[in-house]
Amino acid sequence: MTDTIRRGHRGAAAAVLLVGGVAVAVATWANGQYGWAIAALGIYAALAAGAFVWAGRRTDVGALLRVDGDERQRGLDRDATAITGLVLSLAAVIGAVIQIGRTGNPGVYGLFCVIAGAAYTASPLVLRRHR
Amino acid sequence: MKNRVRERRLHATLSQAELGDALGVSRQTINSIETGRYVPSLPLAIALARFFDSTVEDMFEPAAEERTR
Repeated sequence: MTDTIRRGHRGAAAAVLLVGGVAVAVATWANGQYGWAIAALGIYAALAAGAFVWAGRRTDVGALLRVDGDERQRGLDRDATAITGLVLSLAAVIGAVIQIGRTGNPGVYGLFCVIAGAAYTASPLVLRRHR
Repeated sequence: MKNRVRERRLHATLSQAELGDALGVSRQTINSIETGRYVPSLPLAIALARFFDSTVEDMFEPAAEERTR
C-alpha cells in the first residue's frame, strides 16, 4: 500500500566504483602509464571500501549508496540527480562559451550541450506516459 | 502542513525508529514528517492514519495559506 522501502544492496555503490576503477586502470594501462593505472585502481578501491562502510549505516546517504530507501529518500535521490544534471549542463555551457572565445569552436563542450538539451527535451515525452 | 504524528506517536510510546519500522520507512523520514519538512505521499499518509486508528484529515491539517489554494 505504502510502496515504501526499496531493498537495495550494501555493495551497490562499491561495485560501481570498483568496475569504474578497473575501467580507468585498464585504459590508463593501455596508454602505457602503468604507475598511474595501479594508483587509479588503489584510489577507486579505497573509495569503494569507504562506500561499502558508509552504505552499512542507517542514514539517508547510506540508503542512497545501497540504492534503496523509502519515498522521501528516493525523492532526495531524484532531486540530487536533477541538480547534478543542471550543474553538469551549466558547466558544459560555460565550457562551450570559453572554448568558442578561445578557438571559435565549442569542441566537446558543444556536444555535451547538445546531449543535455536533447535529454531534457526527450525526458518529459517519456515521463508523461507514467504520470 | 501541520500534523499530529508526533503527538500520536508519543501517546503510543513509540520511538521514531519503531514507527518507521512499522510503516516501512526510515527514522529520518518520520522525523522529517513530524517537523513538517516533508509532506508524505497519500499512501503513506493513509498508512499513518490507519496505524493510529485515525483519519488523514485528523492527522494532517493544511496551513492557512495552503487551504486558500
